[in-house]
Amino acid sequence: MKHFGWRLVVAGSVLLAAVAGAETRPQYGGTLHIAMREAPASLDPSDQTQADSLARRNLLALIFETLVTADDRGRIHPALAVEWDAAPGDQRWQFKMRRGVSFHDGSILTAEIAASSLRTANPSWKVFAEGEFVIVERDHSDSHLPAELALTRNSIVKKNGGGNLSGTGPFYIEDWQAGKKLAIRADENHWRGRPFVDEIEIEMGKNFREQSLDLELGKADLVEVAPEQSHRESAGRRVGISQPVELVVLMFNGDAQTANEQLMRSALALSIERSSMRSVLLQGTGQTAASLLPNWISGYGFAFSSDTNLKQARHEREQARAAPNWTVGYDANDSLARLVVERVALNAKDAGIILRPTAASQADLRLARITLASADPWVALTNTAQALGMAMPKTTGDSVEDLYNAEKTLLAAHRIVPLFHLPVEYAASPLLRDWRPAPDGHWRLDEAWMAKEKP
Amino acid sequence: MGHARHRPAVRGRFVSLFLVLILALISVSGARAIDWSDPARRMAQKIVAVTGPGAVAVAVENRSSLPRKDFDAISGTLRVALESLGARPVAAELAAASVTVSLSENPQFYVWVAEIHQGTEAPAVVIVSLPRGDEARFGEESMPVSLRRTPLWAQEDRILDVAVLEEDSAPKQIAVLDAEKVAIYRQKNGKWQQEQSLAIAHVRPWPRDLRGRAIAAKDHLLDVYLPGLFCRTTTGLPLALNCRESDDPWPLAATAIAQPLGAFYSASRNFFTGALTPGVGKLTTVGKFYSAAPLPREKYMLWLFAGVDGQLHFADGVTDQSEKLGWGSDIASVKTGCWPGWLVLATGAADNGTDNLRAYEVADRDPAAVSAALDFAGEITALWTEVKGDTAIAVVRSQETGDYEAFRLAVGCSR
Repeated sequence: MKHFGWRLVVAGSVLLAAVAGAETRPQYGGTLHIAMREAPASLDPSDQTQADSLARRNLLALIFETLVTADDRGRIHPALAVEWDAAPGDQRWQFKMRRGVSFHDGSILTAEIAASSLRTANPSWKVFAEGEFVIVERDHSDSHLPAELALTRNSIVKKNGGGNLSGTGPFYIEDWQAGKKLAIRADENHWRGRPFVDEIEIEMGKNFREQSLDLELGKADLVEVAPEQSHRESAGRRVGISQPVELVVLMFNGDAQTANEQLMRSALALSIERSSMRSVLLQGTGQTAASLLPNWISGYGFAFSSDTNLKQARHEREQARAAPNWTVGYDANDSLARLVVERVALNAKDAGIILRPTAASQADLRLARITLASADPWVALTNTAQALGMAMPKTTGDSVEDLYNAEKTLLAAHRIVPLFHLPVEYAASPLLRDWRPAPDGHWRLDEAWMAKEKP
Repeated sequence: MGHARHRPAVRGRFVSLFLVLILALISVSGARAIDWSDPARRMAQKIVAVTGPGAVAVAVENRSSLPRKDFDAISGTLRVALESLGARPVAAELAAASVTVSLSENPQFYVWVAEIHQGTEAPAVVIVSLPRGDEARFGEESMPVSLRRTPLWAQEDRILDVAVLEEDSAPKQIAVLDAEKVAIYRQKNGKWQQEQSLAIAHVRPWPRDLRGRAIAAKDHLLDVYLPGLFCRTTTGLPLALNCRESDDPWPLAATAIAQPLGAFYSASRNFFTGALTPGVGKLTTVGKFYSAAPLPREKYMLWLFAGVDGQLHFADGVTDQSEKLGWGSDIASVKTGCWPGWLVLATGAADNGTDNLRAYEVADRDPAAVSAALDFAGEITALWTEVKGDTAIAVVRSQETGDYEAFRLAVGCSR
């Protein structure tokens, strides 16, 4: 046979392809079991008493939807709004609502309901309905309003009597036990089409060890992995990792009031050995940081040096006339936070600065972990500044250089000392298919499906 | 209210035949023609505004996904721009200022950062940014039997199928089917120009993983098959698209196949139900399947079905055998003048999360690969044989851009 000779050669590559596991179309059905550490007490996206954590955003995105969405590159796409316009000056925006969308309670989505929902989430905004349009008026130019509206906290919610919430998302609430368990079912009539899985059950308040065990025992299909544990994952699990989206930062209670205090804070920042902490405490995960935004979002993060300079730290410490003893607080339930704070205290001691770690709620500075709000750098910086209790500096434009200058101004206040940018990491059962987390750490589960057997 | 328009919903991208040829040539040479002179000039101006003219040590680092060729081009252009403004590049020990330019990026922009060191002062930082383009990447492989692809169309909205309506040496008129419309384009002066956009009227929401077919017809322009819906164009002008709810079977075989076969498609899912008309021999039902490929034999027709159960089913009208080959769920058959008989194209997964395609010869029930894998820059979302049977349409969702790109596939023999 003419072709016989090389048929043997290609046979080997066929085997490799089979081992790699060829892609298949999604299958409908099945229940996806998820375990998570957080235990939100409310599913109301506008409830500001709840921490705006990634886990909570992930839950809400399954049930509720926003007017627009942002893709992996921060580009804005239609969702409940099909198009939008800005009047000159970018202060007044109008969003044309999608027709034929229903809430899970069967009622029709209207511009009035959407406007009411946005007003609740943003009391300082002027939001109203005009026919099939939602109008948002800001008191200043806001070219990033669509990116802001893509945030989960701006989800459109219909509040019914008795505090029941209704959304338009791909899943509706079947069972909600606050802080313990959430069961949601696929909406057969979702405007984007029914999701592939029938049901998702989420167990909350499980620590990393319990989650890992659940995955091993087949009780969970998707669990969280602690950053410092990411290299210990056993073979056979599928691991999904985001870009670095969590800022680990030391945060003083207020701006430095005196030149002396500025010197002390600067000396502390220079004394910290981020690289060795990353190697030892984080097992090489994440990135050392001296900026608020990670480099993948800003493109300039490396221009803020995170190098240790003990000599300069000692010099600045010696220049300071008075050296206060600071307490540095951490979350008692966060073992990584405790380790980092203890290490920072040791570094500070080398520079002659006294730091006393404490799990008490009152401290001179605290270790905070802030999940960035968006892949849009302006929205991310604005929301991070808010989370840190700082006002976003005024800027003259919206170029990357303007963004850099805004971030530089925030850092120059000596109120915060960025330490790391950490990714979020998940481990998944081989049954969970067509799933990988978004770069910003979102689950992206409505396109995932459950295989009936392991590949 | 005078609003500045932000219309994000549909961003069609015309791919002219000329551009296709250029891109193909570019991919062969590995080169990409981007003019970096403007951002390089802006960066040089910003640097010189800080350093002033004179001796400057310049280092350029690549922290981006830009390939070496672009990095070299930018470095060279930047140095020339600096010199033209009086900043003379010298060795570090002779320089009054040293500048490190980092070519970085974020999701939407290339970000060039210059850190300028002068004396013991903290470095000054200046930044130039420019939007990142969506660069298409088209590869070529040279193997005994090769799969060749021709880019037809790309757009942000999911492409379900593309029908080539008119062609000579290259497609002259195409119909692009997506969830909401059929858009018809014609080549004019080397560019695709839209002739008409025909909206698809549907009441029920589409299922996820939406699939559909656009098939050129003989007595009218086009038939369109979608889950629970059938549409056909009118015969006269102006063209219109009439749609009705329907569970009519979708044609599975190209017109080149003498024995047509239809299959019923689930209105709310992403697979064929398994009911066939008129059937394969005595067989009128098979298991649920995603795709099918006919292989004409001398005295019968062998049908391959990529089942929802992950198995490949071989049906010849008498027997129905199945085998787990690890293929993907999309298969199509094509004939080529340089191979005896028809070949099956099957999707597969590459290691990096993207998909590929490979051609197989199926002697008896024993598939053997006859081409190397043709890699795509994302997931293959559709694969259909064209009506004449000698080419197929593949639609790929680019992992990098998220856009959908439709390709025409042909089997080429290089020896």
